[in-house]
This record gives sequence, structure tokens and C-alpha cells, in this order.
Amino acid sequence: MNEAAPIRRRSTVRMNTSDKRLNDSASQSQYQPYKDAAWGFVNHWYPALFSEELPEDKVEGIQICGIPIVLRRVDGKIYALKDQCLHRGVRLSAKPTCFNKSSITCWYHGFTFDLADGLLSTIVANPDDPLVGTTGITSYPVEEAGGMIFVFVREDDYPLDDVPPLSQDLPIRFPENNARFPHPLWPDAPSLLDEGAVALGLHRTGQSNWRIACENGFDNAHILIHKDNTIVHALNWVLPLGILPNHEEPITLTEDEDGPKGLMQWLFTDRWKPVMENPALGLKIDALNGRFYRTSVVLPGCLMVENWPEEHIVQYEWYVPITDDLYEYWEVMVRVCKTDQEKAAFKHRFDHVFMPLCLRGFNDCDLYAREAMEEFYADGTGWDNEQLAATDVSAITWRKVASRWNRGIAKPGKGVPGATKTSSIRLRRLAEGKAPGYFVEKIEDVNTY
Amino acid sequence: MLTPTEHDLAAAPPGAATVTFCFSDGVERSVAVPSGGSILAAGLEAGLPLTHQCRSGTCSSCLATLTAGDTGPVPGSNSSLFASEMAAGKRLLCVSQARGDCRFALDYASSGGEQVTTAQTFVNTVERVAADVMRLELELAEGSWIDFRPGQFIQLSVPGTDQTRSYSIASTPAQLPKIELLVRLIPGGVMSDWLLNRAAADAVVEIAGPYGAFFLREGEKAPHIMIAGGTGLAPMMAMIDQIRARPGRKPQILLSFGCTSVAGLFHREALALRQHWLPGLQVHLSVDHGAAVDGVRVGNPVEVVGQGGALDPASVAYLCGPPGMVEAARGHLEALGLSPENIFSERFVAS
Repeated sequence: MNEAAPIRRRSTVRMNTSDKRLNDSASQSQYQPYKDAAWGFVNHWYPALFSEELPEDKVEGIQICGIPIVLRRVDGKIYALKDQCLHRGVRLSAKPTCFNKSSITCWYHGFTFDLADGLLSTIVANPDDPLVGTTGITSYPVEEAGGMIFVFVREDDYPLDDVPPLSQDLPIRFPENNARFPHPLWPDAPSLLDEGAVALGLHRTGQSNWRIACENGFDNAHILIHKDNTIVHALNWVLPLGILPNHEEPITLTEDEDGPKGLMQWLFTDRWKPVMENPALGLKIDALNGRFYRTSVVLPGCLMVENWPEEHIVQYEWYVPITDDLYEYWEVMVRVCKTDQEKAAFKHRFDHVFMPLCLRGFNDCDLYAREAMEEFYADGTGWDNEQLAATDVSAITWRKVASRWNRGIAKPGKGVPGATKTSSIRLRRLAEGKAPGYFVEKIEDVNTY
Repeated sequence: MLTPTEHDLAAAPPGAATVTFCFSDGVERSVAVPSGGSILAAGLEAGLPLTHQCRSGTCSSCLATLTAGDTGPVPGSNSSLFASEMAAGKRLLCVSQARGDCRFALDYASSGGEQVTTAQTFVNTVERVAADVMRLELELAEGSWIDFRPGQFIQLSVPGTDQTRSYSIASTPAQLPKIELLVRLIPGGVMSDWLLNRAAADAVVEIAGPYGAFFLREGEKAPHIMIAGGTGLAPMMAMIDQIRARPGRKPQILLSFGCTSVAGLFHREALALRQHWLPGLQVHLSVDHGAAVDGVRVGNPVEVVGQGGALDPASVAYLCGPPGMVEAARGHLEALGLSPENIFSERFVAS
């Protein structure tokens, strides 16, 4: 080293955190890990696709927590691998190439990976390459339940032996939790894991950080945005202006050793007080039909709304991080259907009532409400500058429990869409009218002239 | 760390050549390379920390300089080296075979990246966290870097003196370029004098490291027992934060932290936060004398370990503090059934 070289401070690296946070150790808080989880919590089970989106032999590419994932179904079984060729990072799903049932090949240079474990099994034009068998890409455990495909999104070095069962990342179940969380006003909520469970719904991309989206789902003051939704007036539902905590324990944590980790809100009990009027503003809810429901949330951000939108149906939601400013919003209704007729009736009612009036009409408001909050938080300063109030006990409890039980904080995506916000490809796609999304766009075969 | 001039030629097969690797830290290692085989493959087989990636003569990660002997290409291989580079002695180990005994110079150390280096830092903050403990946060200067494992220590050149002092790092490698230290104040000590009277934000401090064989064993899932006396807490903070951030199921951790008096206790809030973030972390606080206060018992931090029930004999233990405490803790843990090879310790002396 040159002795005369001046000693200089490092040029400041901005890490999406505020100056206050960077410089003031006192602003460190109990939910610091949550504040650091802009790209999501990794090493958890996330929904990837509906089963019907991945028919036999289809290949799809998606992105969760900044990790690119390719899925292929062979003989009914689904395999998931990192969608980034180890050779030079090409996405395998962009032009699916499979020469047999046990592998997927990178369409560019022919690196071929075993579907089961991701090991480099051959290279198309160099079968004797010394790399073969010595390296590979990360594989991800997959489970299918009720018509949904779940992937355990893990860091490359998270041991497969430590992968917990899917049930640890899904909401608590009934009747097994009836004694602990009684619900005299409605029947047992079904579970995706119940026999005969049918999941109907949609997933679409939202433009906000996943945490903003997630906190909206169980925020008891947010129901104001739904005040004039069509279904509320059409069915004459009593939907309060807001619901205030009214007890020393309005929320109970679920932290069983082998169970899901999260919180349950005691809504429509004496622990929460519905606000039905605001005289100062001349507002009063005078509808006729009680609409009791209860919200709970578990890691990695799965909401359960019991008794919604009607008896025997539960609404699940996920806010799956794609990048730090994009999430895949899953809205799913689950009902146990014992016969084909029951299933057909559920599907009919879903298609003609719930899809247009609930998942679209009602939940559309949530989508734009989250977007309205995004910019305040986008540079990281919102977490320090927000002024929380009494009803925010729900969000704070969630932040703390999530900080405690998450299995890892996702690192910012590398070499994936959205890691660089101004790449020329991203800009070209925008110019073509295509917003950044969840799926990998397939390369169209140009060899058709 | 390998010891210099260690040889591994227990049973060289007939026809094999002896290839010697000279690492940048002076360590030399020799291996037998079978006739016609790749030198890289033989070196890796022998467990040498040889940098490599593609194994096919392309990426140039395994570049080495031939200083004696002769090599040829592995049959059927290609090399991305230019003829001029070959003439200068450069070789790609993955596609080279030995033609008789030869020697290579490598431009990296035998420890796999943990070479002791000197680095310049700036002081970010100096703050008193207890009656006799200061917290010092440093930040590596532009162009300076060190690597370390949680638990290791560095040496500081005390500014304005010709003295050096050693301190365990309380932060993790992921927090670099920031480095946090916990320093015990000693009346008349050169570091204490600097900290109390002259240290301020933006002061420049030279450090060297990393040092020490006291560091967190990665991937260990058995229960962890940590016993810390005073600023012996520093390496434990680094290890706890490392465990918190690493993938996979976390081990149970029992931390027993002792100080002489309540006035000397520090980091209670930081430990409470870690307990919130790591459900498997249990903390006992002890003071040698004075009255017991809420959450703090009177006694030494050693005796309390094992009082809650039998210890898992597979537990690993990390001990850091004054020599007396470390000796007592080692004896106590061995008596409770821990094997000596699972007990790691660092003792410090006041200076």
C-alpha cells in the first residue's frame, strides 16, 4: 500500500434505511428484523401457482422474495428449481426445454439439471465436462393442497432436513382450536388442509411493499375504505366505521412449538368495540344484517378471515414478496365440498357473486389503498416517520411476532428482474405497455416465417 | 490455519509426481499428483484450499505461477491462457498435469481468506455503557477491509502512543464496514486514557486482525452454553447475532453473563432485544456483590449453569472472561458431563 495515500471515509452507502435509523441506535426496536425484511421473509412456504395453472408437462417461471423459481409438472408431480442457470444466469423458464422426464435444460448452452435435486446432470454439447455431477442449482420442496401449489422458498444453504411441514405456515385450524379461540357466532372455518377443501380465487400483482399489503388485511381501521362497496349495501351488511381495542388483551399470539406463528384478533367480542357513528361528521351505520368475522395472520404473511363472505367459507390472503416494491396478492376462498354437486354450487356462487363483488369489487379497494401508502415507505423512512394510533396495535403486534419467528430475512434480489430498477429491458417492456410482474415472459418462437 | 512446511506424502502412488503449493502466507503444502491427472483435482482431494470454479480451463480462478518443474496439458483440455502468459509461468491448475515434481506460487493465503491484515478505521461513536465499560464503534476506511469469524479479536494501535491493545469484536461480519468493540476502563490504562480524554468521532485508528481460534463453530445444532464475564460479553454478542442471521434451525442458547456489580452491568436492553428476536435464547444475569435487583441474581455466572436441570452432554460451550472465571467454568462444565473438546474459551487480562 502506498504510504502517502490519504485515509478517507467510505463514500456513504444508502441501504434503503433512514438517516435516523442508520445513526441512532435508540431507534432500533423490537421489530427491527421486520423493518429489515423489505424483500420478505425467506425459508417459508409460499403459494406459487393454482394447480390448474400448471398442467402436465408445463413449465412456469415466477419470483418470490427476489428468488427466481421454475416449476415443472411431470407425471402429476411438481418440481421446483432455481430459475437461473448456474452457467451464466439465463432463466430456464423463458424458453422451456426438456428432453426427458427427469430434467430441465437451459435452452441457451444446454446445461441440464436433475429435477429432483438440481444437480448438473449433463451439458447437451459436452457430456464429459468435468463440472457434470459436481455442482447444480437449488431445489425447492413443493406441496399441493386444495388446488394450490406451495413452494418452500429457501436460501441456498438452508438445510432440507430443517424444512417444516406446510401446516406450520398456514392458519390455525378448527375444530381443534375451538376451546382456545371460541367463535359462538359462526361455524368452524374450513382449512385448506381439510379433506375435500376446495380453493377458488385469483392472484394478481400489486405495486407496494408486501408489508404494507399484509398490514392492510387485519387493520381494524381500514374497513372505512369498504363503507360503500356494492356488496355491503346490496346485502345490507352492518360493517362498522372502525373497530377499537377495548381490553387488555385484544390480540392473542399463536406461538405453539410445532404450529403456525402469528396472532388472532378477538373481533366481535367485548375485547373490541365497533364504532357505529361519528356525530361530529354526521355519520351513522344503520344497516340490518350483522356480518361477523374474525381476522388472524401467521408467518410468512397469510391472512385468515373466518366466516367471510358467508358461513362455511373462509377467505385466505397472501402478500407474496416479488421484489421490495412488488407483491403477488392472493385472494382465495375455501369451502369443504363433500360431493361434486356441492363443489359445482360453490363454483357457481363464486363465479357470479364472490369473484365480481368480493375478490374484485371489495378487495380492489385494498389494492389501491396499499398503493396509496407505498411511496411514504418506499425509501425506508416511513417506518420511522409514521404516527401510529390505538388501532395500530394489530400491526405492531404482527411486526413483533414476525420479527421473533421468521426463519430468515431475504437478501435483496441479485441478478433478477427488479433488482435493478432502471435496466434497459425493464424500460423496453414498460414502453411496450407491460408492467413488471410475477411470471417470466416466455420467448416467442420467431422461427415461424 | 495450517502450519508451515507440513507435508502430506504418506503414500505416494507409483508414477505420481510431487507438487508443492506455496501460499502467500509462507505455508507450503505438497501433494502426490497421479500421472495424467489434474493438479487441481489432486490438491482438492488432499483438502487444500485451492481457489477454483469452472474446472475446465476457462474461468481462470485456479491461476498459479509455476516456479520450478514442468507441466503439460491434461489430455483433451483447453486453456484460456495466452501463450505469453504460459511463457511467464502462469498455469491453470485444473487443466495442468505434472511432468515430474514441480512447485507453484499462489497469491492467496492457506487459511482460505482469513489472512491477518492491517486496516484503517474511523471512529463513529464512543459511549459509556456502564460505570467501567465503553462501547466503541469503528468504520473501515475507504479501501480498507478485514475478514473475521464471530468470536475473533483484533488489535488496535492506541492513537498517539506506540501501544497496541486487543479486543474481541462484538458485531458480526455482516455488519462490516462497521465494527463494534466493548472496552473495559482501567485506571491509568493507555486505551482508557485515549477513550476518556481524546477519542471522538472521526478519529483515525489502525487495526490489525483477525486473531484467535475462539470463534463460532458453524452448523452446530446442539445446545450452546455461553459464559461471559464483563466485556467477555463482546464475542458472545457477535456469535448470538450470527446464529440469529444464519439459515436453518437455531440451537438453544443459554447465556450466563456476570459483572462485579449492578453499576457495571451493561447491554441489558440489547440482550432483551436478542431474547425477543431469538425465542431459544435464555439469559442469566449475575453480579458478584451488592443486592439482587429485578432480573439480576447475586453470585457468579458459572454456578448458575446447570441449576435448571441436567445439561445435554452434546452441548458446546463458549467461555470468555478473566482467567479465573474461565478455569472455573471449564471445570464446572466438565463435571456436568460436557466433553473437553466441545468447550472453547478465550481469557483476557486487563491492560
